[in-house]
Amino acid sequence: MSQQLAIILMVDVEAALKDNTLEGNTYLFDNMKLQGSEGLGTGKLISAINGISYYDGSQADKQILNWLPYGVGSLPPTLPKSFLADKSKNSDLNTIEDFKALAERIETNENSQFTDIASVVEELKKISSSAGVKAKVQSKFQGILHDLGISEHKIMDITGELITIESEGKIPEINSLTPIITGISGEAVDKNIIYPAAYGSPDMVTDGWYWSASVDTYRPGTYAYTMDVQLYKLSHSDGQWRWIPVHMRCEAYIRITNDFKKNGFTNAGVGSLPLPII
Amino acid sequence: MVGALATDSLSGQVYFMDTNKANGSTNQGTENLKTVVEAGDRLVWTVISLECEAYAAIDEIVIDEDYCKPEKKTYEGTDVSYWIGTVKKDVKIIPYNIKFKAGTRAEPITTASSLYLVGKDA
Repeated sequence: MSQQLAIILMVDVEAALKDNTLEGNTYLFDNMKLQGSEGLGTGKLISAINGISYYDGSQADKQILNWLPYGVGSLPPTLPKSFLADKSKNSDLNTIEDFKALAERIETNENSQFTDIASVVEELKKISSSAGVKAKVQSKFQGILHDLGISEHKIMDITGELITIESEGKIPEINSLTPIITGISGEAVDKNIIYPAAYGSPDMVTDGWYWSASVDTYRPGTYAYTMDVQLYKLSHSDGQWRWIPVHMRCEAYIRITNDFKKNGFTNAGVGSLPLPII
Repeated sequence: MVGALATDSLSGQVYFMDTNKANGSTNQGTENLKTVVEAGDRLVWTVISLECEAYAAIDEIVIDEDYCKPEKKTYEGTDVSYWIGTVKKDVKIIPYNIKFKAGTRAEPITTASSLYLVGKDA
């Protein structure tokens, strides 16, 4: 099987939206440091791809690259894909239960608490505010609103707790939606060095679509490529919270060399993995 | 993760970022992140491994508890953890270390050099 290498695009979403650029607000990583990648943890990553052969002279298989975007202030990608939907749905169910309980308390006039409408309204407001706030995604071209994923999602913070909105003019501290890569282009693609495409992942734990490419490792050199990245900005208009897509771009590089491929565990070519002595 | 497991060390294998660069946090994307904080700030630590198929989690955050006492919590309905703590009082510069669980390795691996919480005026 081809060696799979990961390139991580970490975006400080809040800062990028504020500055309206990814410049200075991205951190790129890959797992090819052992092969000689440079600039890990910076905005200028040069991924090393050692192409031609293993140490024993055998021909190396083609290289596969996978790109994964993450947000610095976003929920971890290791959470189940359904986390946002489940949490939103559960909070609705809890709210219904709270309303039922309130109806019973009003009926029995618990502690003589509900003597007028104002006291009931106060309780209703308390329950409503704990139900969280829904936000829809606005489509890029026609401004149409639709649900994120298959159901309406509520706005959460980084710990997955629903947030309450104190003032509609003030954007609360939120979990930024994880950015997505919408395209890979540029020199490396134009010169047919990499052949990128978006794939659907069968892995339900990750977020489905991801960009991947096979690399023509027989043409050594350093090549630039451009990532089209979509971030989401939370805003409020016409009485509705909405995630507005914001398109940005950033660049990175691959450097293909004739150096030998290395195995991260053995630090060399094909060979025995270091088995523990029992 | 492969690097950390192969060398039994986090030196050169871990990178830290925060969301407070605009307020002066420095050393982003390095092992020695300096996060600018003030009393009352709520700090949340999460971890992502470069190989998405590899398991990594925070095992402990070793810090002077007079300033911050992080606790482990899990996201509702999952066993994915995060650590959370509130800055109790203003700091000048407080070093701390993080222990990570990695793969199926029994013993946690500790950061090779310190991270820091830094006061705004430090």
